[in-house]
Amino acid sequence: MSGAVAQPGQMGIAFGRAGIWIALSVVLVVAGALLPQFRDPENLANIGRQIGVLGILAIGQTFVIAAGAIDLSVGMLAGLVVVLTCALSPEYALLPVMLAMMCLGAGVGVLNGVMFTRLRLNPLILTFGMMSVLHGVIFIITDRSIGRAPSFLRDLANGQMWGVPFAAMIVLALGIAGHVALTRSKFGYHLLATGGNTESARRAGIPTRRIFVLAFALSGISAALAGLLLAGRIGVGFPLAGQGLELDAIVAVVLGGTALSGGRGSVARAIAGVVLLAIISNLLNLMQVSGFAQTALKGMIVVIAILVNQPPKDRA
Amino acid sequence: MPLLEAHNLSKHYAGVAALTEVDFSADAGEIHALVGANGAGKSTLMTIIAGANTPSEGTLSLDGVPLRHGGPAAAQAQGIATVYQEFSLVPHLSVARNIFLGREPVTRLGLVDRAGLIAQTCALLDRFAITLDPMAEVGTLSVAQQQMVEIARALSQPARILILDEPTAVLSLAEQENLFRIMRRLRADGMLVLYVSHYLNEVLEIADRITVLRDGRIVGTRKAKDLQISDLVQMMIGRDAPVAPTAADSPERAANFVITYATHAGQQELTMQAGEIVGLAGLVGAGRTTFGRAIAGLHRPGAIATLTHEGALLNNSTPRQAMRAGIAYLTEDRKKDGLFAGLDIVANATAAALPRTTRGGFRRPQVERAQAEAVLKRLHLVAARLGMPVAQLSGGNQQKVVLGRALMTEPRLLICDEPTRGVDIGAKAELHQIIRDLAANGAAVLIISSEFEELQALAHRIVVMRDRCFVADLPVGQADQQEMLIAASGGPTEKETA
Repeated sequence: MSGAVAQPGQMGIAFGRAGIWIALSVVLVVAGALLPQFRDPENLANIGRQIGVLGILAIGQTFVIAAGAIDLSVGMLAGLVVVLTCALSPEYALLPVMLAMMCLGAGVGVLNGVMFTRLRLNPLILTFGMMSVLHGVIFIITDRSIGRAPSFLRDLANGQMWGVPFAAMIVLALGIAGHVALTRSKFGYHLLATGGNTESARRAGIPTRRIFVLAFALSGISAALAGLLLAGRIGVGFPLAGQGLELDAIVAVVLGGTALSGGRGSVARAIAGVVLLAIISNLLNLMQVSGFAQTALKGMIVVIAILVNQPPKDRA
Repeated sequence: MPLLEAHNLSKHYAGVAALTEVDFSADAGEIHALVGANGAGKSTLMTIIAGANTPSEGTLSLDGVPLRHGGPAAAQAQGIATVYQEFSLVPHLSVARNIFLGREPVTRLGLVDRAGLIAQTCALLDRFAITLDPMAEVGTLSVAQQQMVEIARALSQPARILILDEPTAVLSLAEQENLFRIMRRLRADGMLVLYVSHYLNEVLEIADRITVLRDGRIVGTRKAKDLQISDLVQMMIGRDAPVAPTAADSPERAANFVITYATHAGQQELTMQAGEIVGLAGLVGAGRTTFGRAIAGLHRPGAIATLTHEGALLNNSTPRQAMRAGIAYLTEDRKKDGLFAGLDIVANATAAALPRTTRGGFRRPQVERAQAEAVLKRLHLVAARLGMPVAQLSGGNQQKVVLGRALMTEPRLLICDEPTRGVDIGAKAELHQIIRDLAANGAAVLIISSEFEELQALAHRIVVMRDRCFVADLPVGQADQQEMLIAASGGPTEKETA
């Protein structure tokens, strides 16, 4: 490649790692300077509470996408956890219910992973199928809101300490753990290698199937955790609670520069993506932009983000 | 006792024998070459030794101890390291992370020891005098550098056998010498280097012993110093080598293609005549493919070729326009941008000739089939049926399909980029004859090839490229390999160090 001539997409790669942080800083500074309501501590705490569910989902999704797959089932999985948690908690103690939900999440994730690696199904289709199955299961259980979220989860989802919402703390803690796991642990190294070139990783003696199953399991567990937090936030077992969350999580991951083709990814930047989306949506609310216009704007942001992040390639 | 011993190895794929009752042995401290035409079974034998493939029957033993079958990892653990022809690197990761992939050093906390990883990589690269930045992302390296990463990786763990699959196919002369130096050093250390190659002159230069396979069986193992290329060819194809064809006399006509090539290195001209075969020689990275593709409308920024035919400017701004102007390009990598792997032979052959095989936007299967059949018959395509997927054809037959597609556009100027890469020796001779016939029928043909013998057998004149420039233009009679290499590598110093 000739050095002096810029190739399409090279600019995106140059921004690559810093891009999401630049975007986040710019939005923060501009919003903070122009909108006094935005600076209000209560508004900031509100944003902190809003990033909880998506933040956790984005962490799990980063692992799956960096491994070169995708998991569309997490939204409905979180929704199922909301319904089950609220339906079960009046009768059962909190801890067993939470453990059971984590096991459910891990189980669905392992099932996704095993089907992906053994049946070699396209992950998009496979997890879309799983999403439909879970959707069906939710509506077999109930077609209206049922039960009530345990008070512990409600406090966790809505409460705060020293002005910092618990939800934001949870995302921070899980985010740090996830980031270290992806960038520093052997598992993370092997996962990025598997996502970059599965056959090469296999030849290097990396158990690529196990890596995929683990990535999907992490995604399932994070969906269960997100579901628990979501139950606390909504308060009741609303059957459609999880609808569309998977797409928002994927959008955040892509905004963070994780390649949908696998091999690259960062948990920290995915969370930055979640925060950016939350801030933008908060700003649009403060400016009283309608919900539909917000959806359209979000879509445009995603397309622009992917455009800026796309790797250099020969033009079509 | 031999270090590596194979006894009665057989391998069947769905009833087809790829390897039949192979007995093979090789010693420590030896460079042992495996040669054979495509489909002879050398790759199968190699992958079985590498642990990537399990034999249907037979045993393999190392120092008299039977090898455990357990995939590539088990073979590695038992001291067998492999460098494959297709690289098995992860492009997004650094050199260091690729070399120690799967074996990263770990700190007490259980995290990857990044400093240790870099230090170990530097030590390893130093030991074999390989110049590479351990932090560089592998995807940004040249192919030759990537191969060095592969070799460093193979040597990064205690190994008694190093398997090299076609290692020189992508190397420049200096890089090849560097590789041979490393191979000799490993031999001196008591290692067995198993070397699979198509390049017979290199095999004779570097190997101590050579084992020839044909149709899944061992033809024999000989000492390299007792052999000549013609002996090897005879063992490989089971009959005498095809008579080395001599280039036909240069046609005496006015230059009717003038190609102007503009790069950052300046603007230059190359002229070609109808009926002439011009060979384009040069080392890897000299820019031959970029030039060839630019002629055919596959321009890259900073490499623009414009051309005139008998004074009239031809439009080659896109591949579609170039094709209309009578220019066809035969890709060097048919898998990547040549074949439609999922489509059948007919669809592949007619893909570029749709204006002739369709009517009103609809395909006409009979017409397609008839036209494909006519072209492919000329090319002596061997296929069970024309409706079979191209992926099931051998390399040589796949190449004929891609060439057939180019011919269906009835090109006036055909650019053949490595036309016989990955093609067995029989098909190679056929492809050469086809190219000669084409030229005899009035087409101008530009051959890009890394094999000097191929250029000498085909071309009327040989143009040498170095760093995007045409540095020599030699009539074939005067072009000897040394002179060409000197021109390609930029002076006599290269030869002296080689």
